[in-house]
Amino acid sequence: MRPENYQPVEHPASQEYELYFGPNHPGIEGNYALKVRLTGDEIVGIRADGGYLHRGFEKIMEDRLWIQNVALVPRICVPDPPPMEETYARAVEMIGGLEVPERAKWIRAMILEMSRICGHLFILGGTAAPIGQYSNMFWGVADRDYFLDLFEALTGARVYHMFITPGGVRRDIPDGFLDKLSHILDYLEARLPEYDDLFFNNPVFHKRAEGIGIITQEQALAWGVTGPNLRACGLALDVRRDDPYLIYDKLEFDIPTETSGDVLARTMVRRSEIIESIKILRQIIQHLPQIKGPIRCNLPNPLAWNLPEGDAYARTEAQKGELAFYAVSTGGAKPWRVHVRGPSSMHAVQVLEKLCLGGRIEDIALIMFSLDACPPEVDR
Amino acid sequence: MEALYYLLLTLVKILIIVIPLMLCVAYLTYAERKIIGFMQVRLGPNRVNLSIIPIIGRIRGFGQPIADAVKLMFKEIMIPSNADRFLFVIAPVLAMAPALAAWAVIPFADGLVLSDINAGLLYILAMSSIGVYGVIVAGWASNSKYALLGSLRSAAQIISYEIAMGFALVGVLMAAGSLNLGEIVSAQQGNFLHWFWLPLLPLFLVYLISGVAETNRAPFDVAEGESEIVGFHVEYSGMLFAVFFLAEYANMILISALTTLMFMGGWLSPFEGIPVLEPLFAWVPGIFWFLAKVSSVLFFFLWIRATFPRYRYDQIMRLGWKVFIPITLVWILVLGVLILMKLPPWFA
Repeated sequence: MRPENYQPVEHPASQEYELYFGPNHPGIEGNYALKVRLTGDEIVGIRADGGYLHRGFEKIMEDRLWIQNVALVPRICVPDPPPMEETYARAVEMIGGLEVPERAKWIRAMILEMSRICGHLFILGGTAAPIGQYSNMFWGVADRDYFLDLFEALTGARVYHMFITPGGVRRDIPDGFLDKLSHILDYLEARLPEYDDLFFNNPVFHKRAEGIGIITQEQALAWGVTGPNLRACGLALDVRRDDPYLIYDKLEFDIPTETSGDVLARTMVRRSEIIESIKILRQIIQHLPQIKGPIRCNLPNPLAWNLPEGDAYARTEAQKGELAFYAVSTGGAKPWRVHVRGPSSMHAVQVLEKLCLGGRIEDIALIMFSLDACPPEVDR
Repeated sequence: MEALYYLLLTLVKILIIVIPLMLCVAYLTYAERKIIGFMQVRLGPNRVNLSIIPIIGRIRGFGQPIADAVKLMFKEIMIPSNADRFLFVIAPVLAMAPALAAWAVIPFADGLVLSDINAGLLYILAMSSIGVYGVIVAGWASNSKYALLGSLRSAAQIISYEIAMGFALVGVLMAAGSLNLGEIVSAQQGNFLHWFWLPLLPLFLVYLISGVAETNRAPFDVAEGESEIVGFHVEYSGMLFAVFFLAEYANMILISALTTLMFMGGWLSPFEGIPVLEPLFAWVPGIFWFLAKVSSVLFFFLWIRATFPRYRYDQIMRLGWKVFIPITLVWILVLGVLILMKLPPWFA
């Protein structure tokens, strides 16, 4: 029964209609909305509509002491927090002129690479989930859990470690930690062929992912695409190699690239990066015991710690792409301004809109996950 | 008096089929969650147990289907204000009824069938075609864009795959020379190499895959692809939703039973005519073989759900029209030649 005053909504004589994708949608990672205009299944217009996870990090940071912000920055991006801590810490060290001890650098690199593997496992599962293959997602999350156990042993926390502080790291590695890590790396390496069988070589996945969401090299450079998404277009650009920080100039690793720039290429780049990270971690396991020394430089009383006037721009190759912090100090106990250049805000807003246009509605979620767009970091 | 007696007897027979069937449906959901959980390195339901049932009830999670049913029964049924109330309520019934009605002609063992009609295969085709109305009506009556889109996709998919399925059944009909399901099984007399899956291998595969598509199961579950448009039953809740859910699983069991009957020798023992094994397994009743085969087909359904990503909608349609229908047409031709040549052992 229709109500008495029911008035059917008149639409102009058009085949187009509008659908809302999100903010609470199973195909979206985090709370993020997309307004999609469609004719049939084809996307003729799309607008990203973020802001559902806006927590105002950059503003909050201006109101806290330099050392307090250490606890704040990892929360910017949930699946991959250590690069945030590292980049912030490095910006502070650059302003304050702090020298990080050698051993701390190695430990930092170790936790960054562990986090990269974690994030890749998480997002590779994520790429499988929007096309209905939950097995890969659960496998990824289950294997990520071993690394979370390692994080717990090392830092006491599973997700937000707050481990990398300006001037060094919070604690030294516990006894037997490197053996455990080595064991988990062996396990993961043995497990990758199983992932190949289930997901990477799955013919249906190839059918879905080939030729979808293509970014060309020119577009990638023009749009500010970074990280695995850029390397999937065939450009071997990596901050770890181009602008080495910590100890990355002492390590041997390859920068995996693919040429096609589509969803499949991005997925395969992430798979290869897991292998590279395992390689890096093996080198760290080999070298770390020989490097003795403190894990932290001498810091003044953190509650009365005034940084000198100045600014610094620190950048890191995070799991999702190039992450940078621009911090400005006016000589006080608090930052005057901290700006975060997150990789996802480029990928999730402009790039996602452009890639989805002209595609089909089923591919939106797949493209979004393949770009590894992280809504918490987009909104910040 | 005679008529009343007949009516009562038939009613009892129907109950004897439907009640175990509904139990199977309920525990298929449990099996699915457990099996897929095992494949996905997690536990699946492991909290509710039924300690009143002696040994089996102590399995962790064994009471989960019952707990789910109770939960859904107590949930409020929400009807959107601009929905067509009558069609909205009738749609789940339209989806469920054909899935149950088709069981009337399924023989569980030799002669163990509710109604032994000669046009059994036609009746099955008719019944499984009606099921799509439930989907269309649900999408239409919900008055929601997402539901309508989901139902249109689902309807187009079911109808496309029904053609391939129908052609596959034409092959079975040609090979068996009968529309009666019991006679189709009898035509496959012999060990497992005599069953129709071997001479009709392409049709068997097409039928199996079309069956997955027909029931809207992964990897053909675009109708309810939760990461795309959520599906034709977005607006449903409570018991009305549960009926859709039950219909899906009842359809799965039905398709498995039909595959068993038409391609895997129904209640026949796989070891018939094999020297040592036949006497060894002679005591096993036919219904056991039937149920075992149905279970293995169901396991296959669950297995591919855990293994394959979803096809895109246009890929599904292309697969149906450009691959499956030509395959079945060609194989029907080949089959005609095989039958004319009286190829042993199947058509001698």
